[in-house]
Amino acid sequence: MSLLSPEKWQEAKEIFYAALRRTPAEREQFLNESCRGDDDLRREVQSLLSASESAGSFMQNPAVNEIAEALAAKKERIPLNQSLGHYRILNLLGQGGMGEVYLAEDTRLERKVAFKVLPSAFAQDAGRMRRFVQEAKAASALNHPNILTIYETGEFENTKYIVSEYVEGETLSERLHREPLNLKVALDIAIQITSALQAAHRASIVHRDIKPDNVMIRPDGVVKLLDFGIAKLTEKQSDVDLGSEAATAIKINTTPGVIIGTANYMSPEQALGKTVDARTDIFSFGLVLYEMLAGKRAFEGENAIEVISSILQTEAVPLSRLRPEVAHDIERIVGKALRKDREERYQTAKDLLIDLKDAREELQFQKKRERSHAPPRDQVETQIINAATTDAAQSSSRAERIIAQVRNHKLGFIVLSLLVLAGIGLGYWYFSHRISIANQIESIAIMPFINESGNADTEYLSDGMTEALISSLSQLPRLNVKARSSVFRYKGANTDLQQIAKELNVQAILNGRIVQRGGDLSLYVELVDIAMDKVIWSRTYNRQMTNLASLQSEISRDVSNNLRAKLSGPDEQRLVKNYTENSEAYQLYLKGNFEWNKHTREDLQKGIEYYNQALEKDPNFALAYTGLAACYGVLGDEYLPPNEGFPKAKDYAAKALSIDGALAEAHTAMAAVRLYYDWDWAEATEELERAQTLKPNDPSPHLLRSDLLIALGRVDEAHAEVKRARELDPLSRLFNTVDGADSYLGRQYDEAITQLEKTINLDLAFNETYLYLGLAYEQKRMYQRAIETFQKGMSQTERHPQLIASLAHAYAVSGRRDKALKVLDELREISKHSYVSPYLFAVVYTGLNDKDQTFAWLDKAFEDRSLFLIWLKVDPFFDDLRDDPRFQTLLRRVGLPS
Amino acid sequence: MNEGERKAAAITQMLREWSDGKAEALENLLPLVYAELHRQAASFLRKERPGHTLQTTALINEAYLRLIDRRSVNWQNRAHFFAVAAQAMRRILVDYAKAKHRKKRGGNDIKLSLDGVTLVASKEKGIDLVALDEALDKLSERDKQQASVVELRYFSGLSLEETAEVLHVSRATVARDWESARAWLHRELTK
Repeated sequence: MSLLSPEKWQEAKEIFYAALRRTPAEREQFLNESCRGDDDLRREVQSLLSASESAGSFMQNPAVNEIAEALAAKKERIPLNQSLGHYRILNLLGQGGMGEVYLAEDTRLERKVAFKVLPSAFAQDAGRMRRFVQEAKAASALNHPNILTIYETGEFENTKYIVSEYVEGETLSERLHREPLNLKVALDIAIQITSALQAAHRASIVHRDIKPDNVMIRPDGVVKLLDFGIAKLTEKQSDVDLGSEAATAIKINTTPGVIIGTANYMSPEQALGKTVDARTDIFSFGLVLYEMLAGKRAFEGENAIEVISSILQTEAVPLSRLRPEVAHDIERIVGKALRKDREERYQTAKDLLIDLKDAREELQFQKKRERSHAPPRDQVETQIINAATTDAAQSSSRAERIIAQVRNHKLGFIVLSLLVLAGIGLGYWYFSHRISIANQIESIAIMPFINESGNADTEYLSDGMTEALISSLSQLPRLNVKARSSVFRYKGANTDLQQIAKELNVQAILNGRIVQRGGDLSLYVELVDIAMDKVIWSRTYNRQMTNLASLQSEISRDVSNNLRAKLSGPDEQRLVKNYTENSEAYQLYLKGNFEWNKHTREDLQKGIEYYNQALEKDPNFALAYTGLAACYGVLGDEYLPPNEGFPKAKDYAAKALSIDGALAEAHTAMAAVRLYYDWDWAEATEELERAQTLKPNDPSPHLLRSDLLIALGRVDEAHAEVKRARELDPLSRLFNTVDGADSYLGRQYDEAITQLEKTINLDLAFNETYLYLGLAYEQKRMYQRAIETFQKGMSQTERHPQLIASLAHAYAVSGRRDKALKVLDELREISKHSYVSPYLFAVVYTGLNDKDQTFAWLDKAFEDRSLFLIWLKVDPFFDDLRDDPRFQTLLRRVGLPS
Repeated sequence: MNEGERKAAAITQMLREWSDGKAEALENLLPLVYAELHRQAASFLRKERPGHTLQTTALINEAYLRLIDRRSVNWQNRAHFFAVAAQAMRRILVDYAKAKHRKKRGGNDIKLSLDGVTLVASKEKGIDLVALDEALDKLSERDKQQASVVELRYFSGLSLEETAEVLHVSRATVARDWESARAWLHRELTK
């Protein structure tokens, strides 16, 4: 169209603008009148009007917006030839939403590497970044020939980068665009991808983003799977149950401008925003295999909504219809990988791999048979590896890249579709789930996992997994996890969950069932929100026994994710830390714990054996050393002279710390040695602080601190510590009793009696409960009550030397000296075949008012380094001796203020 | 008089000369304004304040305050300055777009993406500023004032009222020029 003259243009503008303000119906007549038969003018105005209609928001936003993105992006780009440390950037290989990939030279090792720069938007989220790096490294560490090797991750000027193996070749996506694959090539690629997946899944790593763009094919035919962990970058950690893509899809609702997952290769569970597991990779892989064989995608659509709805609802066109030569067994494999219900899918990549290999063999066999019947006309086809080499070599100049070339798409439309999708498709799901997680769960009880193996021998496993999970989750600072002794009370009892939650004062309960058959382990866990009275998350873990150690950290991570507990960096590191890679060592350790928890002398010996066996399997297994330290600590406290047990405990705690200085349990064990044996209050305090920093929700350090504080006469502070321990472990026998014991040692006898009787009524009593209750009665001069209490304690629990000595003391001070001496004989008898602390003899002699004997036995207790001596300053038993210079000397030697 | 003040006085003088009809004054003025706006735009984007979008008008106002000798300003100076700044902004933005184009020809679109639907959400299809610049030159040959309206509105982010003020015309005239320019340019760019 020729330009109108400037004058005519002025006229056209006016008529256009006037017409614009008329309704379309009025316009026709208006234009007829205004243009007065000037066809050029009329055409121009008409054309402007229709241009105006289609202009939409054209130019309505100032021009600067058009370039803002480009300016922002520009900042992240690295100039070519720039050196970053010992890397020199050579060439931009590719660029996408997940960053840019450069070809770089490692000048130190003189090799080419792929240098990937991550978008700053992601790098800013340290937690997400770490999860990604962790996963990427974990996958790389598998050292699998079909998984891209990562050399290094690092940072410069706030930009995170990943240096990996440089793979020359082309992506599967490019390959598929270039030409259809023959059957054997497709199977070769499929087998290599599956083999990579099998290795990753075995290590509990799910890829989540399997697609042709993430598969590199080298000229020699070797396949490399890329971008493990990348999906972690888009994942929103705090969203319960949201799969990464769905979380992002929902996020897009409020923040357009984020990257969203690949709809074309999503599994139904991903599309629905459910949690993903290894079977998600199997589905996505099924889609890739389908595409390789059919030459087209299984599910297509104009936009993401259509794609997703067909993934969810429709069945892919049968392969045999698209490619008749595809054998029935291959079609069956694809079909099984593409089952919408993941329970019906291949459950493991291993099974899939076996079938794929069978299919390849079958194919080769068939080819051979055909060849023997027909002339070798298609020999080329049977030598696909060579063909692949040639093909790739021909295109190598074009293929020098690691990720797919960026292609243009109808962005606006897709974004819009996704917004709509987020609004409707996932909206219902989102809100229906959101409600249930509206309250952040801050307290939880993990019920003893039920052993459904039908074999009591595997009880160590169900108990051990429970305990490991409690221990691991106790590390989260804002989560109150009820301790072992509180929850194990419910073991085997069919108590109502609401009742348990009420008794333990928790918002959520985790139930688990475990089945072990040979080398296979199946663990089902469900998380119940008590207020909602519903299961808010559940999952079945099917693993090999050999993956036991990593399974524990995986469950911890999953549970904490589903509690929406926000993890700080080090917290998460500890949570996912595997203390050993050796699953036999881990099993032996769990067996050791199982014995330790029973606390009898024989069980402790068995525990020591198991821990030692665990250390034979993995000499660097710090937790096993901690277990040994704990065993010898208890032995030294109860069954051996302390100066025989504690030095061993100390060595093992030190050994554990030398392996892992950040192991809370080891610091606690060391603190116990420092407190009960070294009588070094400052060192003990330091170890306790370290342990508490590392594991804020572990009640044990609180108990130790309480013991220390009460020894120094700091009653209120000691009570505060016990109170904290009891909050963490409300139904602990020990903590409930120590609460009463602290009152006794703090001379608050009425409080002691109230607390200890309550403990007995709650059915939480053990020998020391009766002990301190009797002692409190005795100090109130209620001797008969005291004697009855000690006797009841002995009949209800055991004839423990402490109860025996206290009974003798009560007889003695209440004037029944003969009875006292008779009980003393029993104590002497016991001491002939097992260790009785000299302190207990001192207790009896002070009751008998024999000062010389008392001091003689106290001196002996000092020689043995009896732990009872730490309470010497506050112990009501020795009030009559306090003015004696010998007592003052003893106090000084123990290191207590007089 | 320090360096800054001398510069401000010179710029104000040039601005006066230009508004008095001395066309060559613009030749000297434009690079100065361009440099200042460019410096500020770059600094703004370096700071990368999340949630802030670059406000072109604010940028020009700031440049104005920095560049003009305030002892001798009047309303007319300000209007003229905006007219000059609008041209400078147009050049700055088109230059950026050109740089971006070069990269595109290098084979990579800055915006995206790994495959089919993996994407970075963006606004609707972007406007090709380089093509727009060329079309605007064509429009200017026939209707200088209308091209100024586009510069002020689109490249400098001025409102209809502000544009009318700078150009010394009625709001209705600006509205008419603007709407018809939008339609015309859209047609040119989708041809």
